[in-house]
Amino acid sequence: MPAVKETIEDVRRLEADKYKYGFTTEIEQEFAPKGLNEDIVRFISEKKGEPQWMLDWRLDAYRRWVEMEEPTWANVHHPKIDYQDAYYYAAPKNAAKYKSLDEVPAELLETYKKLGIPLREAEVLLGVEGAEDRTAAEAREAPKVAVDAVFDSVSVATTFKKELEKAGVIFMPISEALQEYPDLVRQYLGSVVPVTDNYFATLNSAVFSDGSFVYVPPGVRCPMELSTYFRMNAQGTGQFERTLIIADKGAYVSYLEGCTAPMRDENQLHAAVVELVALDDAEIKYSTVQNWWPGDAEGKGGVYNFVTKRADCRGRNSKVSWTQVETGSAITWKYPSCVLRGDNSQGEFYSIAVTNGRQQADTGTKMIHLGRNTKSRIIAKGISAGRSDQTYRGLVSVHAKAEGARNFTQCDSLLIGDQCGAHTVPYIEAKTPKATLEHEATTSKLSDDQLFYARSRGLDEETAVALLVNGFCREVLQELPMEFAVEAQALLKVSLEGSVG
Amino acid sequence: MGVAPQLSAFEAALAASLPAGELRAALETAGLPHRRIEAWKWSDLRAALAKAPARAGMLSVNASRKADEITTLDRQPDLLMPRLAAGLSEGCPVYALKDGESLSLDFEGSEGASHHIAAVNVPAGVSATLHERYRVVAGGFANIALRIVLGEGATLTRIVEQDASPNGVLVVTTGIDLSPRAKLHQTTLGFGAKLARLETHITHAGEGAQLVLGGSYLVASGLHLDQTGIVRHTGTNGATRELFKGAAAKGGRGVFQGKIHVEQAAQKTDAQMNHRGLLLGDGAEIYAKPELEIYADDVVCAHGNALGAVDDEALFYMRQRGLSEARARAVLTRSFLAEPLDAIEDETVREALLARLDAALEAVS
Repeated sequence: MPAVKETIEDVRRLEADKYKYGFTTEIEQEFAPKGLNEDIVRFISEKKGEPQWMLDWRLDAYRRWVEMEEPTWANVHHPKIDYQDAYYYAAPKNAAKYKSLDEVPAELLETYKKLGIPLREAEVLLGVEGAEDRTAAEAREAPKVAVDAVFDSVSVATTFKKELEKAGVIFMPISEALQEYPDLVRQYLGSVVPVTDNYFATLNSAVFSDGSFVYVPPGVRCPMELSTYFRMNAQGTGQFERTLIIADKGAYVSYLEGCTAPMRDENQLHAAVVELVALDDAEIKYSTVQNWWPGDAEGKGGVYNFVTKRADCRGRNSKVSWTQVETGSAITWKYPSCVLRGDNSQGEFYSIAVTNGRQQADTGTKMIHLGRNTKSRIIAKGISAGRSDQTYRGLVSVHAKAEGARNFTQCDSLLIGDQCGAHTVPYIEAKTPKATLEHEATTSKLSDDQLFYARSRGLDEETAVALLVNGFCREVLQELPMEFAVEAQALLKVSLEGSVG
Repeated sequence: MGVAPQLSAFEAALAASLPAGELRAALETAGLPHRRIEAWKWSDLRAALAKAPARAGMLSVNASRKADEITTLDRQPDLLMPRLAAGLSEGCPVYALKDGESLSLDFEGSEGASHHIAAVNVPAGVSATLHERYRVVAGGFANIALRIVLGEGATLTRIVEQDASPNGVLVVTTGIDLSPRAKLHQTTLGFGAKLARLETHITHAGEGAQLVLGGSYLVASGLHLDQTGIVRHTGTNGATRELFKGAAAKGGRGVFQGKIHVEQAAQKTDAQMNHRGLLLGDGAEIYAKPELEIYADDVVCAHGNALGAVDDEALFYMRQRGLSEARARAVLTRSFLAEPLDAIEDETVREALLARLDAALEAVS
């Protein structure tokens, strides 16, 4: 489809139902009572049938959290969060298997349709009998993406499990992994983001309800892209995901995380923790497209996205690459980081953040160079429009023993309109002369010359802006897996709708 | 953070010397700035003064001429250190510069804690030079607040020399107002102290006003120099150029914190900030935080920061030409650090500063 027509249609679609993913599925849900205390933590742990050590771990986190103060250093402003006024556990009441798709509640199917999940895949996700075998057979020809859908707090089902099993890859909800591979979980959980790490990570440690667990055994190249759709659904429920990915020696895995949330009046808290562990020669690629409900034009509602993501490049020659496209959420507070511990390990961070309306984003990365000859590369593109505010906050730290370390950082900000703000706050720490660190940042508005040129070639203003913005972000977009690159480009367009003229 | 700190004997004495009131209460509840306060993250003043003797010292000011009047300091950055300096000084000497005048102010802090404030006015249309020099003896703490106002179309060349002051602690906070069409060219040359901080807050009214900030630093073992500069653009068409270059020898620590803040009204601001740091040996440390905070869309703002060692290829080339490695390093380091000083127009001043840099380089190599 020509770009012009596509944009027009995107915009029309947006006007038609404002926020495509702003729907609520009416299904019976099981809630834990509102509020947070030790009993709720016990309740969650019991619901999951967790071992005693896990409960103790959670309780320890909860007790620490109570003593902690909410951080205020980020450049974001929001009313104080009442942690007692939320549900910490919600599960679809009936997660039982269906005999065929006809038995699946229509609302649930509708949800998947709006999310763009193909019917066949939906069958598997919903646990329809025999679906897995049929899908696996079809998938042998088609490009493969394994999906672990998180419907509120419980992973509903996992596709492609069998084929992954054949490769020896473990990909399942973390709650199941706790039952089936407790030793593996126990060995790595909290080893990258400790319980004490920060206010939101500690809260997550206490109340996390589910998430994904991936283990790729030594020398295995994961045969498909792994993917999780996060969906927040029940009103007033916080989402506390816990993702743990381990790439053993020489393993490779690419993980896709996509997020959409329904329209809400009240603010929803999302405090996820993602831990990645890369051992010797292993590589993990983690991509995110985040387009949660950003709140309405007056800044009412929207998701608070306070996430801790960190990778530990523990082994020699290991590599972790974070790619993110952040267009949603009312407030984003997120710094996917790499601890470059192993010699010759590499960390990469590619980011596009778009804020419009009254969105606020304080995002960036941390690259901690500990090992010799470690390398890191940071490319961050920020686009502020409307009345939004955006901050790039990043740390590059080179320790005394990290001889031969190299870093390159580039952050560019684009301002559209004169009511928004764009800020850059890099921290650079060097403790060895045998390292090279470079940082560049620019802030500018869309070039009038370029806009004029595009317009004189017959593009309307909105399309011209979309074109220029896509060009501005190109270095990051090309890092995304194919499936996401298309979605991300469309998202950029829709996110900036109404920002010019 | 939320918990009231245990005040050191030094802080308690400082608080006790203040009259009861808001300032004293502020010091008593929070103590001196420390590493948990974002703006002082890499320069822990509290720790540097934790064991300082709790007694008053003397600050001798050697000015090239008498002040025009002694008054009270009207306006200054709302920060603890300059407020303390104002609260503990008796009157503020004010110098009104005349066209073509060159004023020099030499500050020397004795043992113990000393505080001083001063103001310099550059009236509209006047072009003048201000040359400051700071040193603190071992065991001394000098806290100085300066206020500089440039009237419309005024031009000021400001030279700041900070002498190496091992075991001394120095904090200089300068608040500068740049009126429309005014020009300020500031150059600093610093060698650090047990802890030295040169903090500058500039309000840039734009409308043709131009700001050039340059700085070189060389910190030897045991010395710490922090250059913090916040430039706030408030009007349209303002230009800012910043170039800071520094080197840290083994055991030395350099800190650069720069911020360019562009208010929504400051459209068409053109601002660039650059910091380059050289680490000369193992155990050298350089920390940098070049910030942009921008609320106007029609602007061009950029910053760059690079940290590393002397370029191996250049070194190899010079050794091929017959220079010893030490000599080649010295030449490369010298030319690296000299760049901000080369922009000084007055040849005598420029040569004097370069000579000081050379002497210091000789001492560290």
